[in-house]
Amino acid sequence: MNVVVCVKQIPDPANPGKLTSETHTIVRDGKLILDDSDAYGVEMALQLVDAAGGGEVTLVSMAPHSETSGLRTALAMGAAKAILVSDDALAGSDALSTAKVLAAAIKRAEPDLVIAATESTDGYTGTTPVQVAEVLGWPSISFAKKVAVADGTVKVDRQTETGYDSVEVSLPALVTVTAGVVEPRYPSFKGIMAAKGKPVEELKVTDLGLEPGQVGAAGARQEVVSVEPAEARKAGEIVVDEGDGYEKIVAFLEQIKVI
Amino acid sequence: MEFHETEEQQALRGAVGKLGRSFGHEYFVETAKSGGKSTALWQMAGKYGFLGVNLAEEYGGGGAGVYELQIVAEELAAAGCPLLMLVVSPAICGSIIQTFGGKEQRERWLRSIISGESIMSFAITEPDAGSNSHNLATTATRDGGDYVLRGTKYYISGVDEADAILVVTRTGTDHAGRGQLSLIVVPTDAPGLSKTVIPVEMTAPEKQFTLFFDDVRVPTENLIGTEGDGLRQLFQGLNPERIMGAAVGNGIARYALEKAADYARVRQVWGVPIGTHQGVAHPLAHARINVDLARLMTQRAAWLHDERDPLAGEAANMAKFAAAEAGIAALDQAIQTHGGNGLSTEYGLATLWGPMRLMRTAPISREMILNYVARHSLGLPSSY
Repeated sequence: MNVVVCVKQIPDPANPGKLTSETHTIVRDGKLILDDSDAYGVEMALQLVDAAGGGEVTLVSMAPHSETSGLRTALAMGAAKAILVSDDALAGSDALSTAKVLAAAIKRAEPDLVIAATESTDGYTGTTPVQVAEVLGWPSISFAKKVAVADGTVKVDRQTETGYDSVEVSLPALVTVTAGVVEPRYPSFKGIMAAKGKPVEELKVTDLGLEPGQVGAAGARQEVVSVEPAEARKAGEIVVDEGDGYEKIVAFLEQIKVI
Repeated sequence: MEFHETEEQQALRGAVGKLGRSFGHEYFVETAKSGGKSTALWQMAGKYGFLGVNLAEEYGGGGAGVYELQIVAEELAAAGCPLLMLVVSPAICGSIIQTFGGKEQRERWLRSIISGESIMSFAITEPDAGSNSHNLATTATRDGGDYVLRGTKYYISGVDEADAILVVTRTGTDHAGRGQLSLIVVPTDAPGLSKTVIPVEMTAPEKQFTLFFDDVRVPTENLIGTEGDGLRQLFQGLNPERIMGAAVGNGIARYALEKAADYARVRQVWGVPIGTHQGVAHPLAHARINVDLARLMTQRAAWLHDERDPLAGEAANMAKFAAAEAGIAALDQAIQTHGGNGLSTEYGLATLWGPMRLMRTAPISREMILNYVARHSLGLPSSY
């Protein structure tokens, strides 16, 4: 079984992020790293391929400046190869044009299953994976907390607010996985050394049969008009227990209508 | 000349750091205080191939060098988990057995050192010899197909978690009365070997032991390399030992300075973070400069060792000296920055005082390094 994992390479969240002043898009000038939320998808894919007894995991990523640092991390975990779409024409892409690019790249790998995180840690739109599935014309299941493949179908436990739904669709399909679907492995030293020699195919927009005008800022149907800093969180209220602490807690819980 | 690490070396730092942080300093302290062992972390490091990065691929190792191994030691220490047995098992014993051991010996001992299934201790220090290896009194005498060992070793680390010990013994005496040394592997459960814990004031899972060899018999197949050639063989392990000691110290120093900087950015006393005051900021900046200098020397020493450059010995000694001094100063300043909290268990700084202070004394004392540099680097006369 062949699985594609969509992985995003993002600015290191340990450093404060920056937005460009004109377009309010994230500045991605420095080294980019593998989005931690994608490590779960990579691990899930590796386990599914193992369980199927054959096949391989291919990474698909779209990133500026031919960035491969994050891809190398996922290759070191055990993925076999990667497809990277890197093109100046992609700057300013919205979620839909990103989905078109990823879908076109995914088709080249002819996978049975596509796995993505529910959302990226930098953009947080959470809409790209299902748009990829729509562009491909494949079924999608989001928020998987458990994934199993058998007899041409994928069975998923989909996380809900109250529990989970059991959902089953036929392959090929796209599944988004939550953090915690599986525990990601660390790259081993052998994996790190092997990653060096694994193929990364770098493509331009035109290699995918797309026109530069369809993607990037030129093709975007969405524009960030303005950005407001998040309001500072208000300080909590400290209740001093003078023997009536429990009453104050009950009153507070009633006030926020949880009891 | 290149001063940047390869992508693979950077990736190794990232992966080891992640593993270390998933355990963290609290794990280290709890394990040490409860009398436990850091086996869980050790075996994970083995599973991911981090313990044997410097050893041969043929036996499951990474096929890289001591440079990579000191990355492992530094990153685990920087995550609050300074593992002292890294200095002993893969660095000293692994390096020596890989270089001088026969094929069967490598198969038998290297493979399990690399996988983390077993740990090998190293015993050189004796109560009456100290740093004077020529005076070692533990003897190994041939008797048929066996060696019979007699003598005492002390301050031997981690014997209770090891399966075997690489013991430095005297198998003869040269015309000048100096010991001819041989390296022999002794199983920790060998009859006649007794182990007594030396209580020390240090928070660490590794314990220190006095070993008594009372006619301990091991087959002659356990001799590593050539009988009587032990002193020369030792140096294959002792340079990595100093480099690894330095790396552990560098990691502790980074851990301490990161905590101090985090605290100084947030802690407010007179309306501004205490890090605003130069009385707090400058000593930390000074410590950071010295720690980075020590790291640079450690990396250079590791590189020279891996290149088989004879300058590695001098560099390894200088790196160990610099890392101990810079690390002790950095940890001390981090504790000072934290005020009273610096000595609390919760803030996890004073708990590292023992392992950090140890670096000034072991594996070789500050004074012996100064003697070495005075004599070898400056050509000054020797006092001993």
